[in-house]
Amino acid sequence: MIIPAALLLKLAALQATSSFIETRGLSRQYRVGPAEIRALADVNLQVPQGQFVAVLGVSGSGKSTLLHLLGGLDTPNAGSVWVDNLDLAAMSRYQRTIYRRTTVGFIFQSYYLVGSLTAAENVALALTFQGVYGAERERLAAESIARVGLAQRAGHRPSELSGGEQQRVAIARAIVHRPRLLLADEPTGNLDRSTANEVIGLIGEIHRELGTTVVMVSHDEEMASRVADRVLRLRDGRLETGDAAR
Amino acid sequence: MRALKIALLALNGLRRSPLRVTLTTLGVTFATGALVTMIGLALGVQRQVETPFRALALLNNIQVKRDDDGGKKGPPLDDAAIARFEELPGVSVAYPDAHVKGIVVRYGDKKSPGIGLAMPREAALVNFADEIIVAGAFFDESDQPEVILGVEVIKNLGFKTPQEAIGAQVAIEASTALEDGAKSPGPAQPLKVTVVGVYRAPALMQGTAAQQGIILPVELMKKIPSTSLETDWKVLTALGSSAGAGYPSVTVRVRDPACLDDLAKAIGDMGYHTQTILSKLQHMRRFFLAIQLLLAVVGSIALAIASLGIVNTLLMAVLERYQEIGLCKAIGASDGDLFVLFLTEAGIIGFLGGLTGITLGWLMSLAMEAAATAYAHQHGITGSLDLFAFPAWLLAVSLGFAVAVSVVAGIYPALRAARVDPIRALRSH
Repeated sequence: MIIPAALLLKLAALQATSSFIETRGLSRQYRVGPAEIRALADVNLQVPQGQFVAVLGVSGSGKSTLLHLLGGLDTPNAGSVWVDNLDLAAMSRYQRTIYRRTTVGFIFQSYYLVGSLTAAENVALALTFQGVYGAERERLAAESIARVGLAQRAGHRPSELSGGEQQRVAIARAIVHRPRLLLADEPTGNLDRSTANEVIGLIGEIHRELGTTVVMVSHDEEMASRVADRVLRLRDGRLETGDAAR
Repeated sequence: MRALKIALLALNGLRRSPLRVTLTTLGVTFATGALVTMIGLALGVQRQVETPFRALALLNNIQVKRDDDGGKKGPPLDDAAIARFEELPGVSVAYPDAHVKGIVVRYGDKKSPGIGLAMPREAALVNFADEIIVAGAFFDESDQPEVILGVEVIKNLGFKTPQEAIGAQVAIEASTALEDGAKSPGPAQPLKVTVVGVYRAPALMQGTAAQQGIILPVELMKKIPSTSLETDWKVLTALGSSAGAGYPSVTVRVRDPACLDDLAKAIGDMGYHTQTILSKLQHMRRFFLAIQLLLAVVGSIALAIASLGIVNTLLMAVLERYQEIGLCKAIGASDGDLFVLFLTEAGIIGFLGGLTGITLGWLMSLAMEAAATAYAHQHGITGSLDLFAFPAWLLAVSLGFAVAVSVVAGIYPALRAARVDPIRALRSH
């Protein structure tokens, strides 16, 4: 029997929260050999729907861990993480897969495009796992790739695209299924300044047009401040108080 | 649709390491080719061995002999006994076994020696004609004097083709070799018969006396003029009388092989020793089955070794596509999706390897048959040898087996792919 993804997620929603994203006492430690590394400690965070949040911090401050927890790729050791009224920590592995499939779009620093697929095929790849096929799949992929301004390059493979174009394809892949939450992990980390500005601008446009909640991890405060509604700082796994909201 | 998309993704995955995947597929190809060739050979040889029995409709026969077990002789196997056999329900005909050597056929100034074989005219009702008659037909059920000759005989009589001999009037007589080797001619009035059919014994019987048969209806065989010495048939005729000791052997032909055992038992109850070709054939089939199983095991071992190549190739693919697997999980692929994806890749390797393996096996069989035929020709066996049999079930089972073994080989790599931690995968370089 195939249980609809939406029903699965509703079943997982045991308690309604007022914010789109809410973490309470969120903690994550990793054991590396005998040592225990604390990646996140007691993070309490509320993000209303449609907000663009930038998370700043130095390398190892827990930014990516926070993103992984919000994206359902990881589970906390303590505390809870709620997104869209779903308690991710209480979800099964499969439920979190469904959550990622339906609710989340990921943008990574290294793009992670499949080299043997064209730009359009890379975008459509996400739809394969969504269960969207045929003409609808083609249409959504074409729309998404046009949205990032790469309609003319849809048939090119990643090796034939520049870094900025590759990141645009990755953005198209992240938004092709209209996710309610866009998680961007250092999306401009591999780009030159000018291209980085273009990419950040594109993410900002998508946020405004689609009303998508965005959590972007960056170490570039100036760039993050330019597009984000709110800037958070992580230090040693702890969220610094007094986050800046625009 | 989902399955198609997963299959396309799997094909895309395989395309990325063409050399490695080709070599792995070749492993499956050779293993499947060996499997198909070996079992095809066993089946082909079995068919060759069984064909004469089928062709001569021997599977419907019960061989009856006089029981002389332990020195106490059973009832005589004479004409009266034959009449009793024919009265049994399900028996189509019973006749004494007559293989009369020293028969000569003449056509014009040419002559050919042969071996006289008595057959009932009713044999036309079974599948004799379909299998080995190469020209003409089996006896009709009239009382016309007819004969069916072996290809070697008509060749000796100067006919260029089997068709040419049909309708020809030939003379048959007996000439029994004297002990000193001299020939004694037959009487002045040889038996005139019309050639109605020409037969060619199956390939494996070629080059033997099997092609020199002179097949006559039973009642006509008795009319072959004898020499001044007793012919074999005369001896037999004498044996068939109530005063004689009986025929050494009688063939009882039944209408339905299913009744064979019951009728053999009924004749056995009458005090005779019975034997059926079918029972001998079943023993032989068990032997062939054992051979086929043995060859299948050998082929399966080859396929199992090839499957190790699949395990290796897919494990390498999991390592190489580690980040991609992590990405797929991040964008919504479930553990099951990845498991199915890699299992599909294994299945595709098995399918392609199986298909090419079957083709390779077929090509190998053609080459081996050609070589065997050439060798046989050097030793006087004419015609081409048909040593291999590739029934549809063998091809389907081989292909299915290649896919199944490959999929099983893919389970471990697929599990490895399914268990990839997306965070570690995305962090890896």
